[in-house]
Amino acid sequence: MATQSSLTLSSATFAKLSPHPYLLANLQPTDASTPSSRTNGRQPTQARPPAINTSSLTHAHGSAVVRTGDTTAVCGVRAETLTTSQIPNYRAPLSSISTSSITASTDELRYYDLLVPNIELATGCAPNFLPGVPPTTLAQTLSTRIYSLLHSARILEAADLRIYHEKSHNIGEGDEAMQDAEGGDVDVGGDAREVKAYWVLYIDILFISLDGNPFDAAWAAVLAALRDTKLPRARWDADREMVLCSRGEAPVPLSITGFPIACTAAVFTAKDRLKQSQSRRDGGEVGSFWILVDPDRFEESLCDESVTVVVDRSEAGAETKILGLEKSGGTVVGPEVIRRFVQVAEGRWQEFRDAF
Amino acid sequence: MTVAAEPEALLSHLHKADGSATYSYAGYTVIGAVNGPIEAQKRDELPEEAIIDVVVRPAAGVGGTRERHLESLLQSTLRQIILVNNFPRTLIQIILQITVAPENEYINGKLVQANVNLPVVPALLQAAILSLLSASIPLTATLTSTSLAIISEDGQRRTVTNPTARQVEQSQSFHVLAFTSQSELILAESEGAFTMKEWDDVYSAAQKQCCTTTTVDDTDTIMDEGRSTDMPDLKRFIRSTVEQKTASDLYWK
Repeated sequence: MATQSSLTLSSATFAKLSPHPYLLANLQPTDASTPSSRTNGRQPTQARPPAINTSSLTHAHGSAVVRTGDTTAVCGVRAETLTTSQIPNYRAPLSSISTSSITASTDELRYYDLLVPNIELATGCAPNFLPGVPPTTLAQTLSTRIYSLLHSARILEAADLRIYHEKSHNIGEGDEAMQDAEGGDVDVGGDAREVKAYWVLYIDILFISLDGNPFDAAWAAVLAALRDTKLPRARWDADREMVLCSRGEAPVPLSITGFPIACTAAVFTAKDRLKQSQSRRDGGEVGSFWILVDPDRFEESLCDESVTVVVDRSEAGAETKILGLEKSGGTVVGPEVIRRFVQVAEGRWQEFRDAF
Repeated sequence: MTVAAEPEALLSHLHKADGSATYSYAGYTVIGAVNGPIEAQKRDELPEEAIIDVVVRPAAGVGGTRERHLESLLQSTLRQIILVNNFPRTLIQIILQITVAPENEYINGKLVQANVNLPVVPALLQAAILSLLSASIPLTATLTSTSLAIISEDGQRRTVTNPTARQVEQSQSFHVLAFTSQSELILAESEGAFTMKEWDDVYSAAQKQCCTTTTVDDTDTIMDEGRSTDMPDLKRFIRSTVEQKTASDLYWK
């Protein structure tokens, strides 16, 4: 270790001993000549540029690797068949023509658990996520949020996941096909198709390395993998009573509606909670705070409050659609800050759009 | 099923817990119990503040990933209002048991659900606050929380406060907001598709319900003309519940 004067510390030592003043000194430098920035050199509203690579896994039906800075997430989508006889309380969809509303489609996805996302953090991606440990609260929370967003964003159609049994050759036999008591949907057009099985998508997200902000990377990986997913053409074979996939025909891509992108920020306050509330009661200001977009692990450890916004600007000419807003952990962020943050999120949306 | 139009609360009914409260409103009934400050596990303790541990148990079944998510939401929210620096190296344990949840008979109910359970969050927060007050844990502020849904009817969008389970199912978007007693937004969770303008309307509707706009004089209660009569004043509710409890406790003094 190099000899140093007893009154000065290297910046790395300073960061380890007192992280909060270290980040504060970077954001609010004492002399005006030094420009303010975060410890990683970024500006508060600057996020790490994303890099996306798809179709990297051979045995998955769809896959993607998303890297934002040092946070890397791999997502693989594998489809398995599930016969309707195995589903308890199965009810056939009302009509194969889409007079059914969007809610009927999401009902199938929700009721029969056709989408199974899972986030695995215990891969050695960070010092506190060593393998062999049961899922931590963070992993469970992320899995829940990804599942929720996957369903509420309505990017997938249940119709893509249905496997039909074509009964068109039976129409000549008359009554038997039409009065199918199983509830086979009879088309107005005349070809009777019955849903005999579903594709269930197992969406697995593994974190190779974690340097803050896992949610944005995980969601981008899910979206990229689903856009890359191609399912084989499948049909129900009545003689063998199983699903048969076609090797000759090209696999069918999923139809994805919309392009939602998540943007997370952490809120760093100069004063801690208690002094803030005291100063507010005495009529003072909130105290300086910074919104750090796309925080890394160091910044996340110093911030209590975080905001996540999921935006979608894929509809040209329409207003920005917000598909999710989560803010918790503090009182600094109010409606005005959220409004400004949505604009930052719109910029982030464009970054991801260009990266895809 | 009739939904309670007014919130109801019962304080300090559990004798073994340091503080407890049962809160029911809008079809949800939650029993909360608070123990603290108690000794923390050596591996968990923090040198300068107390640890807040929230446990949420659902009405049916054991907790799964959705309860972990609710616990982490509540923990980050309650940590901001409890004076944790007063009790270093201790544990404040908050247990919330959901006993009644409104059923939506139209949906295919499963016991194990994986998605976020937002509709129960206001009831959980209110039960937690009343339990903390019953346990006399020092707080910087109390919280009030409400849920709203944006429903589209005949092409019109309207905001509904405290929607029923069926309305939540059919809504375009669903929002939960929580405010401190100093009228600051501490929690905002939304799901569904909406625009920023719709969120602003939701925010002002929630603020009207959660934060009283008129000051209440001790001698003369001013009725706010702008407030609709069917929306209960949650802040006044917490205050009056604790006042009644304190009055009954001091009866023999």
